[in-house]
Amino acid sequence: MPRPDGGLITETNRQYYAGAQQKYITAAGVGQTMTSTFDTDLEFGSSDPLNGLYGLNNFVLYTSPNALTWTELTPATTAQTATATENNAASNTVQLAAANASILAGMTLYGAGITGNPTGRKVVSVDQATFIVTLDGTVTIPGAATTPVLFQFDSPFTMVGNIITIAASLLLNSYLKIQLKETPIQDNHGSYEYTRLNDVIDNFLIAYVGAGKLIPSVKRTDVIFHAKRGLQEFSYDTLKSIKSQELTINTSLSVIIPQDYVNYVRLSWTDAHGVQHTIFPANTLTTNPYASPAQDNLGVPTQDSFNSNITGTSQIEAAWASNDPRRISGAFTNQENITSDVLSPGGFYELALGQRYGLNPETSQRNGWFTINEREGTFSFSSDLANRLIALEYVSDGNAYDLDARIPKMAEDALYAHISHGILASLAQTPEYIVQRYKKERSSKLRNAKIRLSNIKLDQIVQVMRGQSKWLKF
Amino acid sequence: MAINVNTVYQTVLLILNKEQRGYMTPVEFNKTGAQAQLEIFENYFDTLNQQIRIPQTDTDYADRVVGLDEKISIFKEFGNATSISSSNVFNLPLPYTGTSSTLLMVTAPVLTTAATTQYVIGNNANNNTVTAEEILNSEIQVFLNSQMVLNTDYSITGKTITFNSQPVINQNITVNAYPKEFYRLGNLFYTNNAIPTQELERVGRGDLFHLLSSSLTKPSTTYPIYVYEKNQITVYPTSIVNGINASYIRKPLSPVWNFSVGGSNQYVYSPSSSFDFELHPADQTELILKILLYAGVVIQSPEIIQVAASQVQQEQTNQKS
Repeated sequence: MPRPDGGLITETNRQYYAGAQQKYITAAGVGQTMTSTFDTDLEFGSSDPLNGLYGLNNFVLYTSPNALTWTELTPATTAQTATATENNAASNTVQLAAANASILAGMTLYGAGITGNPTGRKVVSVDQATFIVTLDGTVTIPGAATTPVLFQFDSPFTMVGNIITIAASLLLNSYLKIQLKETPIQDNHGSYEYTRLNDVIDNFLIAYVGAGKLIPSVKRTDVIFHAKRGLQEFSYDTLKSIKSQELTINTSLSVIIPQDYVNYVRLSWTDAHGVQHTIFPANTLTTNPYASPAQDNLGVPTQDSFNSNITGTSQIEAAWASNDPRRISGAFTNQENITSDVLSPGGFYELALGQRYGLNPETSQRNGWFTINEREGTFSFSSDLANRLIALEYVSDGNAYDLDARIPKMAEDALYAHISHGILASLAQTPEYIVQRYKKERSSKLRNAKIRLSNIKLDQIVQVMRGQSKWLKF
Repeated sequence: MAINVNTVYQTVLLILNKEQRGYMTPVEFNKTGAQAQLEIFENYFDTLNQQIRIPQTDTDYADRVVGLDEKISIFKEFGNATSISSSNVFNLPLPYTGTSSTLLMVTAPVLTTAATTQYVIGNNANNNTVTAEEILNSEIQVFLNSQMVLNTDYSITGKTITFNSQPVINQNITVNAYPKEFYRLGNLFYTNNAIPTQELERVGRGDLFHLLSSSLTKPSTTYPIYVYEKNQITVYPTSIVNGINASYIRKPLSPVWNFSVGGSNQYVYSPSSSFDFELHPADQTELILKILLYAGVVIQSPEIIQVAASQVQQEQTNQKS
């Protein structure tokens, strides 16, 4: 497989598949840097696993003497033990019993026997000839003949702007490896299918804006606006940007609307075989009132001491939650239970189980119902779905997260056309025929994008059409 | 690539004295020369604006936009804007200090020495000296025995001049530093180590409020913006406190025709303390004509004014039509 050579692919095979980038150390020493060339920006909280911010890291840094056995670079792995031979006097130097070339400036001194351990004193310099370590402040080594002490880098590496700087010393001919964590690796997989919105904006400014072009100049913020608005519009009906959540409906019969939710595509419960069954909206059956003000005897809403309406619990919601949906669908197996079927209040029980004349398909299903409770920001479900596993499929607008801000390459040209039209239509001096031209161009490119993203494959059509001569039985 | 100040002065004198009309002193020449140079320089930007709206030919040397860009490129600079107290407010890359040029600075060693290519810039006879930062922000000229050394034959790091090859020994080294002045701000760029460089967009104070309030177009580290006020740059988002670089245009340095007094009390051109016009050589004719125009005013010769003005007009018409 080729290495990145100036094409659109900028990651090596190893970076893409394994999420790893390796560097061979050709010169030993401290302060070495490694530049990350992943498409994913590195995120850094701390290089100490004991630090609460360590969890923010989206990568782990490893060292290895042979590229086979890897050790994570942490404060503990830089630790060097030594023996101090001081007496009780406070001093900014520590006399060691023996030389240790691995004790370096910048390390922190620790030792259970040191007064005030951990001392927090950092090594300024080390004289390997006299074994004297100079610190940035005084410490008191107890009077015992020997005191075990420990030196380590509290922060063995830092990262700013995708450049990792190693405080610890690296050995000659050793290896350094950035290993992305699982989530960023997975986020990156399949990313070649998309173009980042940033690239679209930059490309647009280069190719469509300038002297002698239809758009001689434009504010970049205008391009950003139209690009993001385009992404929003495309997200609703063109792009394959359906998100989904797997949720369990608890006894409250509701789940909170996702943070980046714009509209639902489908809600379905999943049976033991993993097969989905569509849950239908209870549009005509019930509703979740946005407010349920408490009323006095005359029916007038009452107010509290802050002049706001006092609200009570919705009785409609309570009634719906306690309803047995089989009374709507008529899906009873026991004839005796159908006398209060809400859709046959006259007691046409003999018409149950789909035998009723004029079956209403809208209500004749047994997969449950959902409503959207705008007041509480939840999806509410009918009681038969309690404890069910559901899948909530919905669309967002492509602007919620940085990772969303990308457009399938199949629709990239449509987005350029959208931005062009948006800008030209808002420029005062643009002739109307130009606006119309770009409107048509946007429309046709969007149609192309929809067709492309519909994923109509010949093989699949052929497979479906093989059933064309089957006899239909009613 | 500059216009030799002596050539221009001698040409102007030649034309003025052709019919014994009068004489232009070096002081008058230096002043009018600086004025003419600035006038031509200012005109570049208006002409560029006009030409950029006209379809150009891409035939070699015939594209006027490219030609103008070549003339302006002499004054293009790129430098780091420094944050004030680690905030999102930055000083311009080249704050104008108001210091005048420092001429005839000597080096240590003073003379070129065998097996030595490095020389440290010291002070001049008046004890004036420059700092490394001032050198960085100055146009530097190096002379060996009053002969200017091409700037491709040496490099300067801090205050140390390093010649590419061993210079002939026992030559006098003198250094002139002419501080550059900021003229116009170009584009700003934000660099954060290995993160791709981002261009900043200039916005007005009026737009700033709306942009900061807008959810779709609010500034980010990917798309930062800035406000340019009081010669300072305020960058948004406010998390950006370093890594701002700016492209900008500096003013052309004023020409200096310096002299010593000769045996007959005449002016003798002194190249090592003179400074050439920085304009592109293509503008030499226009420069001479414009100086002549001012010279006509100085010597009160309507004829010169008329001829020069008509020549300038003709040249400009030719350049823009």
